[in-house]
Amino acid sequence: MGKTYNLEIPLNRVEGDLELKVQIEDNRINDAWISGVMFRDFENILKGRAALDGIVITPRICGICSTGHLYAANKAIEMILDIEIPDNAVRLRNLALMVEMIQGDMRHGFLYFFPQFVNITYSHIPMFSEAVRRYAPLKGEIYIETIKETKKLLEIMGIIGGQWPHTSFMIPGGVSAIPNESDLVQCVYLLKHFKFWYEKRILGCHVERFLEVKNASDLDIWLNENELHQKSDLGFYIRYAKEIGLDSIGKGHCNFISFGGFDHNIIHSGFSFEGDIEEFNHEKISESLAYSWFKDNNRDEHPFQGETRAYATGKESKKYSWAKAPRYKGIPAETGPLSEKIISGNPLFYDLIKHKGPNVFIRELSRLVRVAETIPIMEKYLHEISHSEPFYLSPKNIVDGEGFGLINVARGALGHWVKIKQGKISNYQIITPTSWNASPRDSAGIRGPMEEALIGTQIDNISNLVNIEHVIRSFDPCLVCTVHSLKIRN
Amino acid sequence: MSNSLYWMQCGSCGGDSMSFLNSESPDIIELIETFNINLLWHPSLAYITHEQHTQVVKKIISGEQSLDILCIEGAIIRGPSGTGVYDTSISEPKKDLVIKLANQAKYVLAVGTCASYGGVCSAGGVEGTGLQFHKKNNGGFLGDSFLSKGGYPVINLPGCPCHGEIIVRTIMALISDSKILLTEFNAPINWYGILVHQGCTRNEYHEYQVEDKVFGDKGCLFFHLGCHGPIAYGSCNKLLWNRYGSKTRIGIPCLGCTMPDFPQPYPFFSTRNIEGIPLSLPDGIDRAHYIAYKGIAAATAPKRLKERKTNI
Ligand code: SF4
Repeated sequence: MGKTYNLEIPLNRVEGDLELKVQIEDNRINDAWISGVMFRDFENILKGRAALDGIVITPRICGICSTGHLYAANKAIEMILDIEIPDNAVRLRNLALMVEMIQGDMRHGFLYFFPQFVNITYSHIPMFSEAVRRYAPLKGEIYIETIKETKKLLEIMGIIGGQWPHTSFMIPGGVSAIPNESDLVQCVYLLKHFKFWYEKRILGCHVERFLEVKNASDLDIWLNENELHQKSDLGFYIRYAKEIGLDSIGKGHCNFISFGGFDHNIIHSGFSFEGDIEEFNHEKISESLAYSWFKDNNRDEHPFQGETRAYATGKESKKYSWAKAPRYKGIPAETGPLSEKIISGNPLFYDLIKHKGPNVFIRELSRLVRVAETIPIMEKYLHEISHSEPFYLSPKNIVDGEGFGLINVARGALGHWVKIKQGKISNYQIITPTSWNASPRDSAGIRGPMEEALIGTQIDNISNLVNIEHVIRSFDPCLVCTVHSLKIRN
Repeated sequence: MSNSLYWMQCGSCGGDSMSFLNSESPDIIELIETFNINLLWHPSLAYITHEQHTQVVKKIISGEQSLDILCIEGAIIRGPSGTGVYDTSISEPKKDLVIKLANQAKYVLAVGTCASYGGVCSAGGVEGTGLQFHKKNNGGFLGDSFLSKGGYPVINLPGCPCHGEIIVRTIMALISDSKILLTEFNAPINWYGILVHQGCTRNEYHEYQVEDKVFGDKGCLFFHLGCHGPIAYGSCNKLLWNRYGSKTRIGIPCLGCTMPDFPQPYPFFSTRNIEGIPLSLPDGIDRAHYIAYKGIAAATAPKRLKERKTNI
């Protein structure tokens, strides 16, 4: 019988900060608790404010996904107003969200996830020195290039959105500005510039070639096709990740949720449970507060009924997180690029998870290659924008009612539910992608997706928790976590 | 000699860190290399173990490790009832660590409106406040008499978020021992001595009171759509965002996010007014004179503006 350890680990910022407790027995994690440890009370900040104020306040929830919040907040109001927005506005909104997604995927990958590859645990691997050259924090080639290239891509947001982060160019009815012809040409250039870098550096081939990869064996063929593929960052990732066993950790519940995005035939909405994909219905969402530091009415509630009343019990009760526990039909589900792909029927990812379910390798892969699928759609949008059509249709005055805005953003399914009474916000509930992934236990005591994914993770050396970092970061929990932080309690 | 920098996030959305990453000239890598910065900690960028991090913090507090610049991002969360339990790190309120670090730092920077004045975090029930201001009132978390070892109060870099270039250039100024003059709200005059209105491409419309009532056009946004440009101090239309943008350039009124009272308690996107004239007028304006001037301006407005023929 080996030793049992209880570890408390602080993880920085997940729409607030996150802490993790794990119990390790015989070198394996046998239980895990994830706590959101920062509470900013956004839902109550919104109560009583003017109907449109949500589109200013909610993007401030998250500096990394602010465009996503802006989009969801607008959709909720547009549902109340019962209006459709012009095609040009859809194109520009989607374009902006895609820029935010791509910069997120790249920064997450190369600034937060890949630096784990230079963890001292791997120093004996022949590829290690190459990993250091590429991914060392603040020094690695790709680390530095990622900062430069994402920053340049974000110039598109400067042009169409006025700024990033915290852009505000979407308003109920469409978008507030019409980029002129020369603005659009500049966007075309910026996108081409980024694509050139992504193809050269990350893929080692054209986007079109990579999109021919439809299953696991295609991926092997692609990898072995030539040196450019092998030496690209994607090629290196595939080789290194397998070498260090990322394909054998981080499985989780194997349930996926997606709210759909852009055009619904690009990202589908749905819920996947034990391999079957069901049609999505927002009424089946509920939140449990049983383990969250909020007052609960002893029942799970749909966000329209939900309330946010803080109840800090500290360590005395079973409550342990400022995050609520969202469930679909009472079941926890992971969300993010992998969920998006599974629910949209992407053949490569469907094939990859078919036999053994998801893992860290597949989750991060889905993020790295999402860019390849996104760029051609952005090119199409830019091409389609037409100055002879409207960008904004001024809506009638705001009316009372309730509406929701559900959309897939960089990290997965995001939902805003709003009620307007006498022109003012009477209730606002938000479920972020990270709420799904980093959720605590629910009223049935079932773990959240990240907690579940940690179970069984091998920990050979109690003072090096790199495997925990891999699992947690594979969910890109809107945090830049310091999981290498560790405090031994017992 | 290297210059040590410790960056801490409290009640924040991380937007200022993202903005910092967007900084152009220098970018953050160049900043670190050119100015020999020893980045002791930044939650997104540092890669040290928890033991190393704890050691660094201990050494700063004991004085063994000098701390040249302390950047705080996000409001100080004191709730509930002053305990700080709404924002903790391993069960300890972050606010307690802020005091210990601030007492050792040569300079303390409040990065963003939340850290400067409380921002969105001061609006809800978490008892959020700025480092040395609570909204317009001097005091905040550290108290009005706080001076860092370098002799400055907390230097506020408001903006929701703060422009990355302002963060980087303030850090460079401090390292270069360049004097930083501050406004009444302790923000550097170089960046906050200018109004958002200055440099707005809609100025031509503003001048002749050609005002928009709905979004999506070229007119000025001051009279009806709630623009704070003429009353908010900030560089948004001088130092553009992501090299190209600002709110007013894409038709969104300035939201006044650099102001100590952001988010203002009144609705965004509509102008509070007295008989058609905005309630809040630019600093130092006499209302009667303003009404007379605007009347003449509107009467002088050329047709090309009324017809929105001039581009913005
Ligand atoms: S839109 Fe705002 S910043 Fe621009 S001219 Fe009008 S008042 Fe000034």
